[in-house]
Amino acid sequence: MMTAVFASLLLAFILDFAGLRRLAISCLFVSFVLCVGFFLWEVYSPDYGFRMPWLQL
Amino acid sequence: MNATGAASIVGILDRLILVLMLAVFAAVLTAAMVMQYALGEIPCPLCLLQRVAMFGCCFGLIVQLRSDDSERGTGIALIFAVLLLVISVRQTLLDLFPRPGHEYIGSAVLGIHLPVWSVIIAVALLFGFAIRLALFGGTRNGVDTERGPLRSIAHLLGIYVIAICAINFLSVIAQCGLDQCHTSGYRLLQ
Repeated sequence: MMTAVFASLLLAFILDFAGLRRLAISCLFVSFVLCVGFFLWEVYSPDYGFRMPWLQL
Repeated sequence: MNATGAASIVGILDRLILVLMLAVFAAVLTAAMVMQYALGEIPCPLCLLQRVAMFGCCFGLIVQLRSDDSERGTGIALIFAVLLLVISVRQTLLDLFPRPGHEYIGSAVLGIHLPVWSVIIAVALLFGFAIRLALFGGTRNGVDTERGPLRSIAHLLGIYVIAICAINFLSVIAQCGLDQCHTSGYRLLQ
């Protein structure tokens, strides 16, 4: 999945460089969504969910 | 000095701030790659996502540098700056209060760990855009910065950012393949 994030990001840069602005921003949006999804998946724990219960104030 | 001259100076200063921001991001991403390849510090998944957010900020800055009549690039950069802040704060909390058995591994730069640097960079970018908008307002029409040296510098920086994004993409393929990313080594080289 990380490969997909960077692939869409690189494609966005290349498309923008080629002058295809709208397509580039669409690719960047895809990269953003994948990034957010992957971040949530990465920090999620089956035991704690998204919480950090060991963090005690 | 007439109004046109003043507007031109404001436009040039505005462009200069954007170029400096882009240069700083390019330098930070380059430093991260130096630490990875020269010092052997393979990035963790959250670190890679922070790089994605930084590249997203660079994209917004590049778009804004090419635009005179829109602040869309600023908006894109701000969105990714917030994303960078969220990811880096989460990783900083994990650094300060690690889950037992998952202590942070990685060196510090000037005594500060890299996720904390990401927080600083994200906040600095947010402040930078706020100050830029407060000082120079929104878009300007008819400001001729097309032939200035800033345009050439911005263009070269843009190409450099694309190049290091491509290197990062290849590096992620080598490290992760199509599976999870681990910091133990490069999957395709094992």
